[in-house]
Amino acid sequence: MTFVSFFFGSRLGRGAGWPWLAALLLALCFMPSAQAQKLQPIPAPSMHVTDNTNTFDARQKSALEARLVNFEQATGSQVGILMIQTTAPEDIAAYANRVGNTWKIGRRAIGDGLVIIVAKRDRKVRIEVAKALEGAIPDLAAKEVIDEALTPAFRAGDYVGGLTAALDRLEARIRAEALPSPSPPGPDAAQGSIDGDGAQPTHSPLGFQWFDLAVFLFVAVPVLGGLLRRLLGRRIGAVLAAVLVGGLAFLFTWSVVAAGVATVLAWGLSMLSWSGLSPRAGSRAATGGVIAGGGFGNGFGNGFGGSPRGSSGGNTGFRSGGGGDFGGGGASGDW
Amino acid sequence: MRNLTLTLLLAAMLTGCGYNDFQTLDEQSQAAWSEVQNQYQRRADLVPNLVATVKGEAKFEQDTLTQVIEARARATSITVTPETLNDPQAFERFQQAQAQLGGALSRLLAVSEAYPDLKSNQSFRDLRVQLEGTENRITVARNRYIQTVQAYNVKARSFPTNITARVFGYAPKPAFTATGAAASGQAPTVDFGNTAPAPQPAR
Repeated sequence: MTFVSFFFGSRLGRGAGWPWLAALLLALCFMPSAQAQKLQPIPAPSMHVTDNTNTFDARQKSALEARLVNFEQATGSQVGILMIQTTAPEDIAAYANRVGNTWKIGRRAIGDGLVIIVAKRDRKVRIEVAKALEGAIPDLAAKEVIDEALTPAFRAGDYVGGLTAALDRLEARIRAEALPSPSPPGPDAAQGSIDGDGAQPTHSPLGFQWFDLAVFLFVAVPVLGGLLRRLLGRRIGAVLAAVLVGGLAFLFTWSVVAAGVATVLAWGLSMLSWSGLSPRAGSRAATGGVIAGGGFGNGFGNGFGGSPRGSSGGNTGFRSGGGGDFGGGGASGDW
Repeated sequence: MRNLTLTLLLAAMLTGCGYNDFQTLDEQSQAAWSEVQNQYQRRADLVPNLVATVKGEAKFEQDTLTQVIEARARATSITVTPETLNDPQAFERFQQAQAQLGGALSRLLAVSEAYPDLKSNQSFRDLRVQLEGTENRITVARNRYIQTVQAYNVKARSFPTNITARVFGYAPKPAFTATGAAASGQAPTVDFGNTAPAPQPAR
């Protein structure tokens, strides 16, 4: 499809119709697929305690919130509470898993998160445990907390009491687990260091190493360019080198962007090294080409490779660490 | 000329590169599959304990128990390695065997509701919780596998990456079907729909 748009674009280049065609194709390509499911929406985690049922009064809510904030500051682990009316049409396990994997609460590198979900009208409760905490809180322990702390209190209508008792037990279990202590300076320190470690290669959706391309260009191209120049002369040599390198880049990466960058850079490098030997009128343009090419490549590299971290920030109360991976651990109960 | 560059740029952005994506997605789907198998294995490992506990209940329905034992034997005899993962028939056999075990287990748990001694037996209750947790994990692992396979298959079938797929031999992979098998492979708690509402106190 893209090739079609390319051909149409070049043929109708002088007419007025082609931008519309391109825009249409673009719109078609980016159109999100329609989703027909009507699942319960997942509230945004603006606080540790999210109450969509108005069960807590302001004082109770702030007490629970303060407790969880303290716990996070002391241990680094993130515990969230979500009160909703119903999880229909899903069962609570499926909904809780979606909440966990949408919020991704738990520190980024450790993933120590836990969500307690209470569906009031369904009279169901679930403790959803991230994989990192499944050792500290195995399913049986979560079930024990539900059976002994949550459901007896919930039956009596005492939601805050039940949750407080459950948090006592859960926090004790998390404290007993030998997790890394929280990073003291600033909330960004932990995330920053982790981004530096491993995020870059995995976060590039192109799956292509720009560094490899750079090494390839700056080592192999001058050799190739020099050879071709000597054989064919300056202009033809540079163009041929550019075309060859671009073709190679396309073959290896199947990316027109990468191939384009490689072509421009190869041409520029071939021209530049020639002009270094005998300064002539074309040298300035060639340097310009190289700089433009570099900027182009960097712009794309950064744009695509950047981590989507900005979306998690913004709120002062609670910020998900983004590391929690919920594999279905935990337990459910009803009352 | 500017129009041409712009079109070229748009085309480039839409095209993307294929080969490395296939490497990544293939690896991801295999990892996701290992997790699926891991969880099915965990379920199979829980069954002997469950059977032993239920056998302690003298009058328990022997049919239900035998079905579970047989289904487990079948399910554990069929394993799917990453190599046979691309074989839709082997995949289908595996899926059927696991679905049978899931169905037999949920029947066993449903039948156990009629035995008060068994229901109050602590080790039976523990096993039930663990079984339920494993069923949840199976669901999550299956969903993740389906998602990775979907991403892979889209690449393998759509232009221009299907050319890459054909050149390097990346055939579309089979995924779980949602008919029947998935329905009986759900968490066993679903089967208690008719008995659960009874103990609810009126508010």
